[in-house]
Amino acid sequence: MTAGKTKTRLNIGADPREFQKRPSWTNEDILGLLDEEDGTLDPRIYTDEDLYRLEQERVFGRAWILLGHETHVPKPGDFLTTYMGEDPVILVRQKDKSLRVFLNQCPHRGMRICRTDGGNAKSFTCSYHGWAYDLGGNLINVPYESEAFCSDFNKSEWGPTHARVETYKGLVFANWDKNAPTLLEYLSDATYYMDHMLDRTPAGTEVIGGMQKWIIPCNWKFAAEQFCSDMYHAGTVSHLSGIEAGLPEGMELSDAKIPTVGYQFRAKWGGHGTGFYVGEPGMLLAIMGPKVTEYLTDSEAASRAEQHLGSAERARQLMVQHMTVFPTCSFLPGINTVRTWQPRGPHETEIWAFTVVDADAPEEVKEEYRRQTLRTFSAGGVFEQDDGENWVEIQSVLRGHQARKRRFNIQMGKGRSGVGNKDFPGSIGYVYNEEAARGLYRQWIRMMTEPSWETLGP
Amino acid sequence: MIDEKMRAATRQGDISLEALSLQHEVEQFYYREALLLDRHEFNDWFDLLDEDIRYFMPIRTNRTRREQKKLEYTKDNEFAHFDDDLTMMRGRQRKLMSDVGWSENPASRTRHIVGNVLIEEELSASELSVVSSFIVYRNRLERQVDIFAGERLDVLRRAENELGFKIAKRTIHIDQSTILSNNLSLFF
Repeated sequence: MTAGKTKTRLNIGADPREFQKRPSWTNEDILGLLDEEDGTLDPRIYTDEDLYRLEQERVFGRAWILLGHETHVPKPGDFLTTYMGEDPVILVRQKDKSLRVFLNQCPHRGMRICRTDGGNAKSFTCSYHGWAYDLGGNLINVPYESEAFCSDFNKSEWGPTHARVETYKGLVFANWDKNAPTLLEYLSDATYYMDHMLDRTPAGTEVIGGMQKWIIPCNWKFAAEQFCSDMYHAGTVSHLSGIEAGLPEGMELSDAKIPTVGYQFRAKWGGHGTGFYVGEPGMLLAIMGPKVTEYLTDSEAASRAEQHLGSAERARQLMVQHMTVFPTCSFLPGINTVRTWQPRGPHETEIWAFTVVDADAPEEVKEEYRRQTLRTFSAGGVFEQDDGENWVEIQSVLRGHQARKRRFNIQMGKGRSGVGNKDFPGSIGYVYNEEAARGLYRQWIRMMTEPSWETLGP
Repeated sequence: MIDEKMRAATRQGDISLEALSLQHEVEQFYYREALLLDRHEFNDWFDLLDEDIRYFMPIRTNRTRREQKKLEYTKDNEFAHFDDDLTMMRGRQRKLMSDVGWSENPASRTRHIVGNVLIEEELSASELSVVSSFIVYRNRLERQVDIFAGERLDVLRRAENELGFKIAKRTIHIDQSTILSNNLSLFF
């Protein structure tokens, strides 16, 4: 579903020459921020203004960024405004059903072309001077063009900057960099684990309408890392009260069985990671309730998913899976909340969250997904409320010089992951682990220090 | 829809003692309800929710004027900030009262200011539909401040309790599209 024939203006995501110019952070400095062997991480990656600016260019200018789901924009002219890093973009369904993504900025004087969250449009007109763009992001009308502009003014040169757009099983991603690998190459061996949410049925998934947005005053990497690699917080103390909120009345927290068996996966390339429990449904039950738990583990749909995914483990046994596709696409297969962590400076993140469901799930199951994900994973969610609490406090503590000077411990599971698990391919370790976090930060460092896809690519 | 009903209510210019007394009663209910929340008497507040409560806060979006009517608020089958029945609200209560409910332990300081109270319609002998506006100030931990404003569309039901009513339905239209806070761990 990539852009069609019209002339597009694609960037090189990050200019290799720029990597030499900046004195504040040399490549050597950046490489020192993570020591995988010692298992330590320099907390300035969460706070430094210069690193943040470099990150906008080198990471968000070159990585595949999640924009939404195909069913957010089902009909020609349907559009959604969103962001790639701090850059506002418009995602538009074309008349030929393909998707286009272009910068939400009028190249004339820089005004935002579209100021709504979404809808259906025939064209987009800049509210400053009236330059108008078609659905494909081509400049089609300039008021007083012949009277006011020079004869060499060429509308085809003055459309907004375009991004590449590709989809993976319903999820829509975009990338500014013409040299970046395809989305599929970029996702690497993580697709196997993405399919637990996206490919349980040949019907695929559809979105439950509505994008919830809220802000957390913390660096985006806390959120991305947690969904990539941190089952530890869920199985220990962070979410105990969330579990309590989901227990049937009369049942005590001490009666709830917190699972202990499970695995974590670190993608062989790309910084993606995931983890999950196997077998024990207690926590899933507390999050999604009996109806969804039954749908996932013991229903006709579960049997079909078993056939479709090729194993009972993948279809019925994985519980409370968490996952991040580097850098900012995170989701929870089974629970089905999906979100992009939108960076807003080193100290703030906007969360843009939505829920997907199997397109052929019974209506009552879809409704239960809607109710349970907004009860648990949302701004008011009984699980997610407490995530915000942790990350905000870390960010606040990191104002301190001493606090920033002490490297963080990221040692869990060091040297204990490997290929060879009979059920789960790729590099696998115990569920409580920071191997995937080390993978995420390794990819961040590589993108921050390697100018060319020739070395960086998969 | 609301506009039409409200115009009708205003036209009536009903200042009978009965109407004034009902208005007073409803306002007193809201003030006392606010106090329960702001003084952290949460168990008493949750007891005000009737068995069939729908506690609902749709998401508000930015739309062109042309599409605003149709699309501004997320619909019943779409995502929302809250869409709870009593069981779900009781779960929230357990979280709120829990020693390990970190987002409200230590607790937020809140102030609910409720005003512009309009009894829209007497739905039956025991039910009123009431519109009100709120400002909720929250201060939390060392220096977090959040201010939320919005409208509440309630169905209040006569009840044999100290405050005279229970809340049968509450729809909250919050005046933010992006929620400008790290969580909604409070109630409106």
